[in-house]
Order: sequence, then C-alpha cells, then structure tokens
Amino acid sequence: MDRRVILVLSFVLAITGLLMAMQAISHRSSVVNLNAALESPNQQAGPKRSAESPAPDPVEPSKGSLAPDFTLKSLPDGKEVRLSSLRGKAVVVNFWATWCEPCKIEMPSLVDLQKKYGPQGLQIVGVAMDDAEDKEITGFARKMGVNYIVLKGTEKVGDLYGGIDRLPLTYYLDRSGKVVDETVGLAGESVIEDAIKKALEQGN
Amino acid sequence: MKFHRLVLFALCVGLLNGVLLCAQEAPAQQGRVFVTAVPTSTVVVAPGGRAPVQFTFRVQSPYHINSNQPTAEELIPTQLHFSLPGEVAIGKMQYPAGQLMSFPFDPNTKLSVYSGDVVIRGVVVAPTQASTGTFTIHGELRYQACDNNACYPPKKLPFTFNVKVGTRGKAAPKARPTATSPHIHN
Repeated sequence: MDRRVILVLSFVLAITGLLMAMQAISHRSSVVNLNAALESPNQQAGPKRSAESPAPDPVEPSKGSLAPDFTLKSLPDGKEVRLSSLRGKAVVVNFWATWCEPCKIEMPSLVDLQKKYGPQGLQIVGVAMDDAEDKEITGFARKMGVNYIVLKGTEKVGDLYGGIDRLPLTYYLDRSGKVVDETVGLAGESVIEDAIKKALEQGN
Repeated sequence: MKFHRLVLFALCVGLLNGVLLCAQEAPAQQGRVFVTAVPTSTVVVAPGGRAPVQFTFRVQSPYHINSNQPTAEELIPTQLHFSLPGEVAIGKMQYPAGQLMSFPFDPNTKLSVYSGDVVIRGVVVAPTQASTGTFTIHGELRYQACDNNACYPPKKLPFTFNVKVGTRGKAAPKARPTATSPHIHN
C-alpha cells in the first residue's frame, strides 16, 4: 500500500481516538455537573448544608472506627445533643425520614429495644434526614410512640456518614463510640437486637 | 521500516486514548438511575387554541415512586412542574392512578405507587395574542423512589419539550430565534 495512504489512514485513526477521548471527557464533565446540580440543596430535597461549610468527602465510617462526632438539635425541645456526650452507653444512630416507609416499619422495633435494653445502657438516636418542619417530625415521632432521642439531621452530618443516599441507615456504636455494626435498608428486629447486644458488650 | 513503526505508534496512541478514556467514563455513570424521561414530541398549537400533550417517564426496575396521591400525607407525591415562557400555558395535569401495592417491608399496608412507564397527560394552551414560534419548555419531575428494602432521597428530573405556536402544518417563522423558558429554581 502507498505510504501516503497508510499515513493518512493512521492520522485519521489517531484523530478519531483523540476525538473520542475529548468527547468522553466532555460527557463525563457534563454528567458530573448534572449530578452536582441534582445533588445540590436546590435540586434535592433534604437537610440543608450551610453555605460557609464546605462538604467533606462522603466516606462511610467503617467497623472498628470511631463514629464521626456531631452536634444536632433534638426535637421537640431544641436542645443540642452531642454524639460523643453519650460515650459510656451503647448508641444506635438510626438515620430516617418521615417519607421513608421502611424507616417507619423499623420504628416499633427500635421502641421495643430501647425499652428492653435502655436499663443496660442503650441509647437509640434517631436522626431525621428530611426537610419537614420540626413540628411535623415531632408529630410523626409521637404518633409512632418513639421513646428515644430524635435529632434534626443536616446534610453536613449526612456527609460525615457517607452521604446517606438511602434510608434507613443504622450504625451501632459500642460504649467507647466505635462502630461495631451497620445495617443498610430495613433490618429485622432480630438483626437489630443482635447488633445492639454486640454494642452493649464492647467498648467497656 | 522506521516509517511503519511511526505509523503503528500513532495508531496505538490514538486508539489507546479513546479506549482508556471511554473506560474511565464508565464509573461516572454508575450512579443509581430511578426514573428516565421519554422524549416528548413537539406540540403544535394555534394561537388561541389548545393541544394535548403527554409526558412519559420510565421508572427503572426494581424501584417504585409514590403516585401523585400517595396513601399517607408524609409521603412525597410525584409531581410535574414547569417553567413557562409566557407565550403558552399548561392546563391541569392528569396523573394516572397509582397501583395499590404492598411491599416486603410491610405486607399488610398497600401504597399507591408508580412503576414501569408512567404517562402524565396535560393540555398546552396558547393565548390568542401568543407570538408564533417554537418555544422550549423546561419541566421537572419531582419524585421520591424506594425499592423493596430502602428509600432514596427525593429527586428532581429535569426535561424539556418544544411547543410550536402556529397554524398546524404551517411552519413557524424561521427568523425568530427559539425562545426558551427560564430554568426552574427552587
């Protein structure tokens, strides 16, 4: 084959490759931008991120690691509760929302388990991850007979726990504040109870 | 010989660029997709007239979204919102009835949900004094998805469709630039 033909062909192929690469970069950039737009507080309902605090990279806490500390407003009294102030107790951090049916299904189990293991040092903390008014969250929790701490979540706290892209999401912390277990999605009462027992036994 | 090596090198560099970067692109698209919008055909409406419009959304398996009239007040209804350019209006939307379904997380309770294709109907209305031309309307589907085990934060799916104001079968004036409705902000 003529050298010129080969040269032209190879040039065309090289350019094609580069164009594909440029298209890939451009598309990826638009996907990222769209995702960013959809995930922004304006596009996705949910707890608001404060403007002055940059979002940390969402990384889920792993088993054995100290659970990220946070301070959130409790409902209905509005008092601030700091997670680390509960050290010495086994803590269940249950992320939920009023619009989440599986979360609602878990609540009676959490109520029963708080009652059963509270005297042994269990404290369940429900973190509401929705935009509902405080009184709606409080009313909902009251209707469900919630007997544990309810906090109003923020996106910043969500990010500390991996971004909370689905609910319910529950972390079980031992008495020293370390994560001993995690359940993603609806968990049966026996699964929750086993994780609670583990949390109560460890970190003394 | 040297020439052939050069050609081979150019080929490899070009193809590798494409292949590697396309491969890198894949992970960026791995996020969950709950609902996609099926493109809506251009709606043609005469000034002072009305024309039907339908929007089709595809709820991806294994997810479902609440219907427009969920069974409990705290559940987030599926709703369409539009940002209109002023030349056209959209009449009341007709949402399909939800399917009453129970899910493994609560077999005793039925929820009103959409799954699969969801067709929402409406009417485009052009006032008598509406300017002729093609207008791009920005819409947004607001929904909240769940699967059999968990629920996902509420989402907004933006989409667009065109409305051509003019006589049916007669093209709108070409000289007029396409008008675009402002983007929706909340």
